[in-house]
Amino acid sequence: MKHEPIAGRAITRTIKYIVCITLAILSVIPFWIMIMNATRGTYEIQQSAISLLPSTFLKSNFQVFEGKAFNPLVGFMNSFIIAGGATILGVYFSSLTAYALVAYQWRLRQPFFTFIMAVLMIPAQVSGIGFYQFMYRIGWTNSYFPLILPAIAAPAVVFFMRQYLAGALSVDIVNSARIDGAGEFYTFNRIVLPIMKPAMATQAIFSFVGSWNNLFMPLILLTDKSKYTMPIMVSLLRGDIYRTEYGAVYLGLTLTVLPLFIVYFALSKYIIAGVALGSMKE
Amino acid sequence: MKRILALVLTLAMLFTLAVGFTGCGKEADPTPVAPDTSSPAETSSAPADTSTPAPEVTDDPDVKVLNLWSFTDEVPKMLDKYKEIYKERTGNDFPYEIKTTIIATTDGAYQPALDQALAGGGSDAPDIYCAEAAFVLKYTQGDASQYAAAYKDLGIDVDKLVAESEIAQYTVEIGTRGDGKLVGLGYQATGGAFIYRRSIAKDVWGTDDPAVIKDKVGPGWDKFFQAAEDLKAKGYAIISGDGDLWHAVENSSDQGWIVDGKLVIDPKREAFLDYSKKLKDNGYHNDTTDWTDAWYADMKDAGGKKVFGFFGPAWLINYVMAGNSGGEAPGEGTYGDWAVCEPPVGFFWGGTWVLANKDTKIPKAVGEIIEWITLDNSETGLQYYWANGTLYGPGGTKDTVASGAVMKKSDGTLPFLGGQNMFDVFVPAGEFANGKNLTQYDETINGYWRNQVSEYSNGNKSRDQAIADFKQQVADNLDVIVE
Amino acid sequence: MKGKRLKSVSYAKYGYIFSIPFVLAFLIFTAYPIFYTAIIGFTDLKGLGKTDFTILENPFHNFQLILKNPSFQRSLQNTAIMWTINFIPQILLALLLTAWFTNQRQKLRGQGAFKVLFYMPNIITAATIAILFSTLFGYPMGPVNDLFKMLGLANEPINFLLDKWTARGIIAFIQFWMWYGQTMIVLIAGVLGINPALFEAAEIDGATSRQVFFYITLPSLRTIMLFTLVTSLIGGMQMFDIPKLFLNGGPDNATLTVSVFIYNQAFSGSYLYNRAAAASMLLFIIIAILSGILFYLLRDKDAIKAKKEMKKLRKAQAAARRAEA
Repeated sequence: MKHEPIAGRAITRTIKYIVCITLAILSVIPFWIMIMNATRGTYEIQQSAISLLPSTFLKSNFQVFEGKAFNPLVGFMNSFIIAGGATILGVYFSSLTAYALVAYQWRLRQPFFTFIMAVLMIPAQVSGIGFYQFMYRIGWTNSYFPLILPAIAAPAVVFFMRQYLAGALSVDIVNSARIDGAGEFYTFNRIVLPIMKPAMATQAIFSFVGSWNNLFMPLILLTDKSKYTMPIMVSLLRGDIYRTEYGAVYLGLTLTVLPLFIVYFALSKYIIAGVALGSMKE
Repeated sequence: MKRILALVLTLAMLFTLAVGFTGCGKEADPTPVAPDTSSPAETSSAPADTSTPAPEVTDDPDVKVLNLWSFTDEVPKMLDKYKEIYKERTGNDFPYEIKTTIIATTDGAYQPALDQALAGGGSDAPDIYCAEAAFVLKYTQGDASQYAAAYKDLGIDVDKLVAESEIAQYTVEIGTRGDGKLVGLGYQATGGAFIYRRSIAKDVWGTDDPAVIKDKVGPGWDKFFQAAEDLKAKGYAIISGDGDLWHAVENSSDQGWIVDGKLVIDPKREAFLDYSKKLKDNGYHNDTTDWTDAWYADMKDAGGKKVFGFFGPAWLINYVMAGNSGGEAPGEGTYGDWAVCEPPVGFFWGGTWVLANKDTKIPKAVGEIIEWITLDNSETGLQYYWANGTLYGPGGTKDTVASGAVMKKSDGTLPFLGGQNMFDVFVPAGEFANGKNLTQYDETINGYWRNQVSEYSNGNKSRDQAIADFKQQVADNLDVIVE
Repeated sequence: MKGKRLKSVSYAKYGYIFSIPFVLAFLIFTAYPIFYTAIIGFTDLKGLGKTDFTILENPFHNFQLILKNPSFQRSLQNTAIMWTINFIPQILLALLLTAWFTNQRQKLRGQGAFKVLFYMPNIITAATIAILFSTLFGYPMGPVNDLFKMLGLANEPINFLLDKWTARGIIAFIQFWMWYGQTMIVLIAGVLGINPALFEAAEIDGATSRQVFFYITLPSLRTIMLFTLVTSLIGGMQMFDIPKLFLNGGPDNATLTVSVFIYNQAFSGSYLYNRAAAASMLLFIIIAILSGILFYLLRDKDAIKAKKEMKKLRKAQAAARRAEA
């Protein structure tokens, strides 16, 4: 076996650490500033929006919530239902669609894939037009369905899953399952899905974050207070530009981010460690 | 993935389109209550609309909910007080459940949502809704004014009350629809003053008397720049940035940006190019941008040079300057070292207008609330509480109100202004303001204009080029004729 | 690795069955709005609350207007510029980090934590980031100006955000910083999908880390790279919220992107839905062409060759059969 010289290795290792630590600091700083601002008063923030030290307004920022119908528990619940539902449906059905594209030879396979790519390329502003109007006409305002169900057709996720499966799926596994008498649907759920865990975890994170932070659609679809999501509640804290309670807004933003951390850390083990491929070693 | 981001705009777009479609569906059903805003008034009397008495109106007894749409909690909180007063007056509880929908304007969602709700109709449609100066024109005179009820049709005796309460003319101008009917009024007066530092005035001119200072900084911009020179000699900046001047220039011009579908650059607004350049070249300001850290810092002497004054209405004092003065009592920071005087030109800045839906099923209740908010000049009217800072109990923030009559019998002394009664200045300020120069495109066009002005004043392009580029931007983005 | 082909005949129907949910959801929630927009581009629909529209006499009038619109042309250039200066460093850094973090021989301590941290900028909402950066580059006072003064780089405060290239550079940097972590995660997931046997074989053959990365990891990542390139391209062409929230397209249109332009057409006062729709369709066409080029460049050449040969073979067989007959 060839090895790089020891000294050279030490240097590259040091460089790697320096780069990684620098990038890590760049990643943490905005969160730090946001959390610090959550403890600062509105006028302090107006004087200087960046501070690395906390202040004493955390309690009064919480008090602003009381007057403003800001109820984090309700917000968390609603956001969890929407983001969780959209993520589970999106990841599951995208995997299924991707499997259909990779594992089977069917006449419309290539056209269907081209079609999905075309959908992906449509500027978001186009596919959005008319969506609300449609939901309004079928009476789905103040409902979670229009925020969850469209995730079933997520072209970007299908695309990713397809690309991943094209590299990771071995036909032999599928065939051996068939020889054992497994149904196609059973094979997908029990054999293919486990192979896709890293891909599903990454896409789950992305769609959960996206859905969780999504503001505009929920804002216009959900007008019933008891259905508000976290970002809606934070946006209500902002009021108008002349009188914004910045401290409370940052506190709200901080609270909004916390569950994302939890979900992210829970899923990140699939990204961090290569747990996936046990089932397909030849 | 990344398109999630772009969704924001998607949604905005589809939303407004939605308005169209549902509006279409609605046209199909016969509208039983009032097929046209004007019909009750017109059928009852002669064409001389302005002098007709308010018609009798009645509420639909089956309706139990009053829907209120707003972008802050200000008006919803007023209605809490209204319910109390209603109980005191009549002995009964207010018979409607008030359902409030608050959507912030900051994320650009309030207007599309409101448009949708107005067009959609039905039992969830707003009965009362609020609009801010930045977009009120759309609802009182522009594309969405068709949804607004004339105050008169709500049983409000408009002509008498506007005169009696001495409502500032500019708020009436803004609230009057093309057909001459008043559809919206505010509760706050946002006529602007010049808010200046007493200590600096004494240092430069030997006095801090508003009567003297108003003749130093005005009338007219020539005297203002003269004063800037005096201040510069002593090392002071007259204002913080050119944005401060802009608000005064914008709302004192004779014409708005659009006249008969054509872009017009009012000479007074065009002159802003030169003012901005002059301020920059001579170092008369700290070159800040409004609503940024450096601008706030200038309110407590934390900027480059000490800043003499700011242009603004009472709300700027209450909600921005007081908190940023670095103190909470006279002697701390710049608190108490301020005074107000008449500005070089009359202007107004901001404000909230209250409108009613023409299709409301409970016009009587709605009318009574709107009258209480916008036109009641008694001591149990909203504006009396608002002016004296007693809406939420004694000791609250005093603010200027739409009714001159109310301000005249209220006490507007503020410790922040060193004990000056601000109403002495703000009552006439409201009279000088002009409400005829707004358009529904202002937010957009002002953005382009100030962008090009700063290109010019920073020496990035010539004056002519700046104007040409401004015109091009307007032509590119709006359906406006540009010559 | 791909093994022998499946007997396609008996299982083909599952391809259709498993695609049904996607197609249904697409038809219900997306198809109608898309067609609606596509049609609006050819009509006279503008103005708030308008419902009725007619197809224009010259159906391409809106498209012509948009193509001639100087702001639109500018927005295309800006988008291309900002995408390029964001994406090239982004993909390079993501690849570098992927190489480091998937290197079996030299494991970095704490790499799990790093992977988690690098994605974090993507979690914060764009509005917060926009405020943060405008404060950083504040004028006449702000942290960056303070730093310049401290280091003696400038005597007078600099109004950074008034300079076109600085403004574009900052937006490109924000995009880069927000998205390199996500790109890295995608690439790492791709590496995890590579058959470990390949790495083991390379190890046995004594390949260096560098060789493993360039000769095994990178080629195997091709499909995922295609995904990254195409989605970044699409995301980049649709770049909206940072340019909108940070500088609103300024200074002097320097950071106006196509999406911001479209938004302005529809919502900045005149409600020009027809022109916005036409601009959206143009953007779609541009993205489709660029994506098509990427697909062509990164196509699987071996697979195509194999397919062609199969075809030839079949033709030859058919010819032979005909000759026999």
